[in-house]
Amino acid sequence: MTYDQDFQPRGGLFFAGSDDEDDDVNSTRAQIGVSVQPAPPSGSPHEKRLFFADSDEEEIPRFQTPRPIAINSELVMNGDDGESDLEIPSFEEVPRASSVSSISSGPDSLRSSSPALGHSGDEPPVKKRRLSPPSKVQARTGQASSDHPTYLGSFLVGNAWSTVRGKGYIKPGDTVRIERDDPDDFKSGLPISGKGKKKALPDNGKKKQLTLGAMLKSQPPKTTKKADTVVRLTNDRGFEFGRLPQHVSSWISRLLDFRIVDFKGSTVVDCPATLHSGADLIVSLSVYVRASAFKPPSTSAEGSPKTMFNQGQETQDEQTLRERKSALLSLFEAVNLRPCRGAHVQDSGNMENGSDDMTKKLTQHPGGAKKKKIEIVGDGEEVEVEEGEELSDNELDVIYKKRSSRAQKNDQSMTEMDPPNTFTLTLRGYQKQALMWMHSKESSEISAREAVSMHPLWSEYAFPAEPQDGVIDLTEAEKLFYFNPYSGELSLDFPKAERKLKGGILAVRPCNLCAVIGADSFVSVGMGKTIMLSALIHTNRDPEPILPDDTARDLARTRQLKLDNVFRSRALGQRKKPTKGPSATLIVAPTSLLSQWHEELQRSSAPGTLSVTVWHGQNRLNLDGIEDDSMDDASITVIITSYGVLASEHSKLLKSGGQSSIFQVEWLRVILDEAHHCKSRTSKTARAVYALRARRRWAVTGTPIVNKLEDLHSLLQFLEYTPWSLYSFFRSFITLPFLARDPKAIEIVQVILESILLRREKNMRDNSGKRIIELPAKEVTVDTLQFTFAEQKIYDSIYNAAKRNFDQLNAKGLVGKNYTHILAMIMRLRRAVLHPDLVTDTSDGIGTKPSGHSKDGVIDVDTLMNDISEHDLSSGSKAAYAESVLANLDTSNDAECPICLDVMQTPSIIPPCMHQCCKECIISYLATCTDKGEVPRCPTCSQGPVKEQDLIEVLRSSGQDSPHQESTGDEKEGTSTSEVFLRRNDFRSSTKLDALVQNLRRLRDQDPYFRAIVFSQFTSFLSLISVALDRERLSWYRFDGSMDLKKRNAAISEFKQNERKPKVLIVSLKAGGVGLNLTSANHVFMMDCWWNAATENQAIDRVHRIGQEKTVYVKHFIVDHTIEGRILQIQKRKTAIVKEAFRGSDKSGKANPESLENLKVIFSDN
Amino acid sequence: MALPKRIIKETERLVADPAPGITAAPHEDNLRYFDVTIQGPDGSPFQQGVFHLELFLPEEYPMSPPKVRFLTKIYHPNIDKLGRICLDILKDKWSPALQIRTVLLSIQALLSAPNPDDPLATDVAKHYKEDEKDAQRVSKEWTEKYASN
Repeated sequence: MTYDQDFQPRGGLFFAGSDDEDDDVNSTRAQIGVSVQPAPPSGSPHEKRLFFADSDEEEIPRFQTPRPIAINSELVMNGDDGESDLEIPSFEEVPRASSVSSISSGPDSLRSSSPALGHSGDEPPVKKRRLSPPSKVQARTGQASSDHPTYLGSFLVGNAWSTVRGKGYIKPGDTVRIERDDPDDFKSGLPISGKGKKKALPDNGKKKQLTLGAMLKSQPPKTTKKADTVVRLTNDRGFEFGRLPQHVSSWISRLLDFRIVDFKGSTVVDCPATLHSGADLIVSLSVYVRASAFKPPSTSAEGSPKTMFNQGQETQDEQTLRERKSALLSLFEAVNLRPCRGAHVQDSGNMENGSDDMTKKLTQHPGGAKKKKIEIVGDGEEVEVEEGEELSDNELDVIYKKRSSRAQKNDQSMTEMDPPNTFTLTLRGYQKQALMWMHSKESSEISAREAVSMHPLWSEYAFPAEPQDGVIDLTEAEKLFYFNPYSGELSLDFPKAERKLKGGILAVRPCNLCAVIGADSFVSVGMGKTIMLSALIHTNRDPEPILPDDTARDLARTRQLKLDNVFRSRALGQRKKPTKGPSATLIVAPTSLLSQWHEELQRSSAPGTLSVTVWHGQNRLNLDGIEDDSMDDASITVIITSYGVLASEHSKLLKSGGQSSIFQVEWLRVILDEAHHCKSRTSKTARAVYALRARRRWAVTGTPIVNKLEDLHSLLQFLEYTPWSLYSFFRSFITLPFLARDPKAIEIVQVILESILLRREKNMRDNSGKRIIELPAKEVTVDTLQFTFAEQKIYDSIYNAAKRNFDQLNAKGLVGKNYTHILAMIMRLRRAVLHPDLVTDTSDGIGTKPSGHSKDGVIDVDTLMNDISEHDLSSGSKAAYAESVLANLDTSNDAECPICLDVMQTPSIIPPCMHQCCKECIISYLATCTDKGEVPRCPTCSQGPVKEQDLIEVLRSSGQDSPHQESTGDEKEGTSTSEVFLRRNDFRSSTKLDALVQNLRRLRDQDPYFRAIVFSQFTSFLSLISVALDRERLSWYRFDGSMDLKKRNAAISEFKQNERKPKVLIVSLKAGGVGLNLTSANHVFMMDCWWNAATENQAIDRVHRIGQEKTVYVKHFIVDHTIEGRILQIQKRKTAIVKEAFRGSDKSGKANPESLENLKVIFSDN
Repeated sequence: MALPKRIIKETERLVADPAPGITAAPHEDNLRYFDVTIQGPDGSPFQQGVFHLELFLPEEYPMSPPKVRFLTKIYHPNIDKLGRICLDILKDKWSPALQIRTVLLSIQALLSAPNPDDPLATDVAKHYKEDEKDAQRVSKEWTEKYASN
């Protein structure tokens, strides 16, 4: 207790001020969280606590040093103002916009601290104590009711014990004060959460460092805990005469420490006339809830961000919450207070019998999975409730049944809604349903039902009437308050279910809900989601009114921004506010889809009703004026931009002094297309997205969960779907249980998704049982290929090196540190599977680039003849042989390769002797010779040296359609007259390329005008593919991320053009895997496999979607015994995750153990 | 590992259309291992002899030459006591266009035309160089002694 000495000189001051001040600070802080109303600027020093640090990672550093701020405030209390100005100059310039209050005005409560200060002088305590003297409370009477401690009940404590001997300390009926040692003495042992540090505990400069350090350390040892719970009983003269028994003081101490309750008017009911140590005292405690209790507890309320380096902090927060909530539960039990409705209503019987037990368990197993139960609240609204413990499987089954029947009702018999006439297309039934759903999610009238339904995690309590002189005034209106037994939060405001969310997730799996049967019927097949959202834009087009509520809420949203920016944008917003509420819609989409959105929106709107702007590229307009502009005419403003632009604007904004109009505009609606682009909540894109100000938020994605459950969280955060948008909450209730293999986690996810996610899949059925979309069949085949000898060697060497490397790292336990390195090795392996040139240096001349004269390497037979006669005049016989070879090229179809003794599939001529071999055989032989250091020679005549790139391939176009094919070699008239043409072997192929080429050849034989899409994720491989296609004289078009928008669009439109020739579109999986509409093709080749099947499926669905009339053939090329097999395994498991989350309505029952098993492996392996 | 198509084809052809004076049959348990007999060519000291050889096709075949060895003792300057054969196509002059049949024919030809200038058995080569007649006599004796059955 060395601190005590430090404090002695100033003890009185602190003691006096501490209580009230804390309250005020806390309530002021609370107002930020719930903040609803702008308040006038104020010069009060308390402003300094109003940092906006609640939720963004970037603000963490500020979090770590709240101390100075708090301390400055203390100093201010003592009249020292200068220092704080130095520390945080920006605060002074800041308009008061931030400090807002709904409950009571901030300044009021601030002022209230002064009378308390005056009081303090009267009672110099021996020891710094936390007191709850009635006098102090009285000082605050007359204030807003929220500040007034409210009677909660009273209870008897039978076995308090005396600590003193003698008479005169106390007699029955005397008032007792309940005291705690000053929290300073608990140090960090007190559960002070991350933000709890701001609680401005009486403190001085010397201690600051130490405490801060201690806080960042782990929990103090348990030994200090016992001392912590001491609750002293003192008489009105301030003498301690007794203590509360341990079982009561354990939680009362917490309640006092957390400033939740006051005990005023507590009395001694019975005591011996002469006290002695340990004598039994019977005390009646009257409990009053303090106003500060109703501010959100530090952690749970604002979901302070948890970054990687802050993991330790989180457990501390959790402990705070846990202790708070268990203390409150104990209190409610003690005063026999039961919820009127909401959580725990129905198990009140349970509470009577086993609540002690339950409380204990809650305390003991804080991280444990909470069982959920559905209860009916209000008019059939189902509410999810946490049971204390034991909930049988049978009960769980019931829940599922309930939920599934409801979900089905939702999905199938959802009402339809017609779009207004400014929307020119006709919607399908399921699209109308979607419109209805989205409309109801956006408009508040429809959700009126939800307004009366309480937030599922809260329960309602009524304040008991306070007996006044033993008489209970029954006429007094019942006052209600709300308690969240999960987070320990208390609130006076009705916790509405989904109170903030306007919007949702549109899970248009394979985004192909497109068919629009309109005026131009089948020709105009667009994207379904575009159409649905366009209909939504048309339907809910009226600007939202400016609600003071909303402005404040938006302020809270901008908290991620740096302070000065917040205020700047705020200032701008204020200027505009008077004119009208937000009406514009912002659509954020991947770059490749911008023009598609633009077209579809235009197409679906009556002329002049929609003003669509693509906000992309260099000349981006200032968006400041858009709302005012749109006021003038009747059109709705829609801005389309890309994630990239948004992220760069955001980083511009974050730079000091930067401004970005896109973040200043308050949007009526923000739509994220392919919303999984912001799946990592710490990514720049995600943060940019969170910083947008909007009334309504939509996320459209085919894959709400890409890799892990936390992918979902970033969507929820964007949607501001409380409480799940709070990372700590999501983490404790979903991620951690999930990691603990608890199937309940998945159930919670299902519940969340059920309320905010509309899932439209092409194999879903409508209410008449028909599939909502009829699509032609899709045939997926996997071609397992074998490496050639040389490729195997290259692959093996890379694999062995990688494996050795990994094993070493693994042995040293450095895998985690070298994760990126390992990923790079894996990447290299994946390239090696595709083509050796992607991993080796191609300095030997045979490279990816054709060295020949023409781009497809075709050479003329006549030229070759001439060459021979010029060079080999001396050896007449040889020349004659060569000539006969060339002359007989088209007839000698079934010549045998001297090496494999088989009929040559792809004969190669070895110049100058003109002997022939299979291409593979000769190349493999030449490679062996080179390996051995021998000069490669012709195997037949030993003439040498022979170079690989000198070989001449003999290509025969077979099949009856040859005349058509010849037209493909448009420029090479010379060779195309013959069925046989020669080609220089100046290009190294690979197993996969060969497989592709063979498939395309076969395809061309069957269908001379085929259209095929080739996907690969490596653009370098795309380049190789394009060379291979050139050599096959196939027309190809390329679409990848490196091309600008114009080029991409050109490639697509050229590919789609109707021409009498085969066409191949080679697409990079990442750039073209989403959104594109490529239904003109019906063959898909997947050259490599991506880590999750969802991405691949989405790519395939570019082709397999509404508008496709033919069967779609998909071929995956996989090389046997390579890393690709592993990837497929992982793919399967990932599919399992997503399916599990989506399992929802169709099956009742629990997560099957198999899929859980799958998940286990993922998390243990990777 | 499966037997390459080429080996199967060669074996079939050796059985179906054997070269004169040469037999080659693969072992049942190892199709890359052949029992070979070569008749001594007429007009050579090895006439009337039937020489047993073993032939093994290595993994790399036909990119690498087969391994061939005489099992029957033979007095020949290019074949040593262990039966090893000094023949260029079995070494650096190997080409994948050569086959088992061509290899065995080459060995048969080697019996007709010993090449003492590129010896493997130096004593035999010396003998052939100094007194070819006597050396041929020894060869003939050895043939009768070891290669007639």
